[in-house]
Amino acid sequence: MSFSMIMQLILSGIALGFIYSMVSIEYTLIFNSTGLLNFSHDKLIMLGAYIFAGQFALRMGCGYVISTIATILSMFIIGVLMAKGIFNPMRNMASPIFAVIGTVVMGRIIKELCRIIWGATAFNIPGFMKGTFRIGNVMITRANTYIIIVAVLLVIALQLYFNHSRSGKAMRCVQQNKTAATLMGINVSQNINITIGISAVVCSIIGILVISLFSVSLTMTNMIGIKGFAAGVIGGFGYFPGCIVGGVLIGILENLSTLAIPSVYKDCVAFVLMIVFLLVRPNGILGHKK
Amino acid sequence: MSEERKSVLRLEHITKKFQGLTAVDDVSFDMKERSIYALIGPNGAGKTTTVNMITGVFPPTSGGVYYRDQKVNGKRTFEIARLGIGRTFQNLKLFNSMSVMENLMVGGHEMTKIGLVNFCFNFRGARREEKMLKERAEEVMEYLGIADLAGRNVKNLSYGRQKIVELGRAMMMKPKLLLLDEPAAGLIPSERKEFVDIVLRMFEEGVDIFLIEHNMDVVMNVSTYITVLNFGSKIAEGTPQEIQNNPEVIKAYLGDKYQQITAEGRRG
Amino acid sequence: MKNKKTVKIVLVVLLLAALLIFPVLDKNTYHQLAMAQTLVNIIVVLGLNFITGLTGQMNLGTAGIMALGAYSGQLMVQKLGMPTILTIPVAIIMGVLIGYALGWPSLRLKGVYLSLTTIGFGEIVRLVITNWADFTGGTTGIQNIPPLNLFGLVLDKTWKLAVFLVVVCAVLVFTAYRIVGSKYGRVFKGIRDNIEAVEACGINVSSLKIKAFTSAAIFGCIGGCFYSFLMAYLNPTQFTQDLSANYLLMMMFGGIGSVPGCVIGATAVTLLPEVLRFTQEYYWLIFGIITLLFVIFLPYGFISLFQKEKREEAGIFKILIDRKGKRRGTGLSKSGGMK
Repeated sequence: MSFSMIMQLILSGIALGFIYSMVSIEYTLIFNSTGLLNFSHDKLIMLGAYIFAGQFALRMGCGYVISTIATILSMFIIGVLMAKGIFNPMRNMASPIFAVIGTVVMGRIIKELCRIIWGATAFNIPGFMKGTFRIGNVMITRANTYIIIVAVLLVIALQLYFNHSRSGKAMRCVQQNKTAATLMGINVSQNINITIGISAVVCSIIGILVISLFSVSLTMTNMIGIKGFAAGVIGGFGYFPGCIVGGVLIGILENLSTLAIPSVYKDCVAFVLMIVFLLVRPNGILGHKK
Repeated sequence: MSEERKSVLRLEHITKKFQGLTAVDDVSFDMKERSIYALIGPNGAGKTTTVNMITGVFPPTSGGVYYRDQKVNGKRTFEIARLGIGRTFQNLKLFNSMSVMENLMVGGHEMTKIGLVNFCFNFRGARREEKMLKERAEEVMEYLGIADLAGRNVKNLSYGRQKIVELGRAMMMKPKLLLLDEPAAGLIPSERKEFVDIVLRMFEEGVDIFLIEHNMDVVMNVSTYITVLNFGSKIAEGTPQEIQNNPEVIKAYLGDKYQQITAEGRRG
Repeated sequence: MKNKKTVKIVLVVLLLAALLIFPVLDKNTYHQLAMAQTLVNIIVVLGLNFITGLTGQMNLGTAGIMALGAYSGQLMVQKLGMPTILTIPVAIIMGVLIGYALGWPSLRLKGVYLSLTTIGFGEIVRLVITNWADFTGGTTGIQNIPPLNLFGLVLDKTWKLAVFLVVVCAVLVFTAYRIVGSKYGRVFKGIRDNIEAVEACGINVSSLKIKAFTSAAIFGCIGGCFYSFLMAYLNPTQFTQDLSANYLLMMMFGGIGSVPGCVIGATAVTLLPEVLRFTQEYYWLIFGIITLLFVIFLPYGFISLFQKEKREEAGIFKILIDRKGKRRGTGLSKSGGMK
């Protein structure tokens, strides 16, 4: 086993890991502000990919930059609408089961809409984020480079937003104590709308980034959706640094596991790790207590 | 205190530490049979921690809890409850989706014996047990004077009624010892009187009562023996009269300044 | 009171008779299949109801349970030549094993964490079945499953299987109904409402949670077993996350925690897409929208239309009541004054 091959596996693992990290950041935003898990998040990522690739890049022939901006804007609006229609009414219900079912059904509706609007056949954007860089013996694809750069930028941007902007601080208040936030004059519902809008934006960014890894199809995000949950659990649920650590760790271990076990079982690694962590160390690697 | 009475609940040097914070520090007391034993103390004195150790919610860091001379720390909550210790909670813990009758019937679950597999086939036995549970629940409701509420959903009842339902649930198993955690809190005077009457009646019928209470009226009128905690340590124990005149207790409750005023013997 | 009960019993008997006669008279295989599928779903949902509906422990691994129930029996038939009738006891044993395996984590985990564990369980089962191709047949799965042979009575036609399923389903519905209305049903609900209070009553919560999981898994495995005979083939793509979610949806659609609700929900959610087929490519979308409206406006399900208390508690009625209240109310509502 050559060193460069292991490096290769680790590098692509890191890139994929950052995707998982972003997925877990995206649902952690919603979880922290509403206490609900968004089980339709993989469908939202898929919707982002479809809007970018199917609508703006291919159908309307826009440039990548314009398509990206347009996708982000439209996903933000979709996110806010979902918050108004689903998350806000559901977060006060007696049992979280209703919210689980609600988000699952929402995901189905999104999937059906995608199928009806853009068709059921998988497609790809020719030449989008293709090509490779070479560092010494190690090859790194252009897509992986973009993923790592964008993920790092996104995390920094979110941190700055939550720590330094007024509305970001308000969101942190809402996450910690809704009643107190209400008493301090923060409009909790509106706050949640915007948080979910931001989450949808993160989804769309993930969607655009994974187009080059998987082609655009109705099942493209099935796996990263659930692995994103695993990333959160392993790193530390509801905690951003935990999401990043967990995601990257899963990405790397998953790729390295192919050295030891048949590669078809690669996908199991994340779930087995998740269950082991849930049972042995439910607070995750970073041990963050909520 | 005559010596020949048997011990019901005995704590021997129990200490509880939560990561450096000592919540209960070397507390010992011995509750004898046929008594209404009160544990009092200001907020944060360690009363709830003590109760949690008695009921097995968590084990003491050191020391022993004995129920009728049987060591119970290390046992799990339900095992301790099965020994005949019923309890109510400081903040009501009722089954809000169920009726009063059903709440009581859950309380009596352990009186039944048929297992789940057996239940699926043993129709007659299941029906008999259900009837038995129902009769016991009716008996308890009659005793508490809430028979008319049997079918009502507990969450629609007033706070005072809910407290009585909770007491009824604890009575279902015919406990020998009742732990009442702040029973009078949040009750209006008439409800409080009703509650006290029920407790006294149960005591007369042979149930020992362990009371954690804030309301001095209730404590001084009802209890036969009192232990006072402050900052996790026992500062006094004795009969209500002794406690009322104990300067340490008055200091703990009211501060130094009021020592003289209250020493005159004002009740409550 | 007595009269009402008699009427109910008569109605149930009539319904059963109709269900038994229907597959014999209606020669349309499609109808028979839809009916058998509904019956299988009712069995699985009743199981899910124990654990998620009553005990309140979120289970998103129903597909995994069904898959294990179906595969364990059929693999033994294929590899060991076991008589087909024995798949049912095998499924029950499998159910007990899964019940313990899934119930054990539930003692330590709750809420979100438990639902993630069950998702992980479902996915691992699916991935192992998909990839352990030598043993399970991989993505091609198990083909040509022989019909169920009841001591010489071969259920080789769909209508025969449907009739048998009516009987099985009736027994299981009756059992579930008894359990839900019994001391066990109450204690399960108690665990959902207030777990500490249940323990204070001297009840061993751990053992009861495992009992709830085991009952759920047994029902799920039996459902899976009959599903395999119904389809006559098995492959891992049938047992996805989507299927698990569908069972949750059925439970909610009819009414969480109630046996008649589960039966209604399973029937509605199984047959509604079939009824909507006339809308062609939009039928799945329309079905999705209908169910979403149900979740938001009628969260306690169809059955709550007949239950006064539940009706006032949530959903469209609550919205209506709130509206009325707001119009009457003055000033300080929730956060209104402080925006």
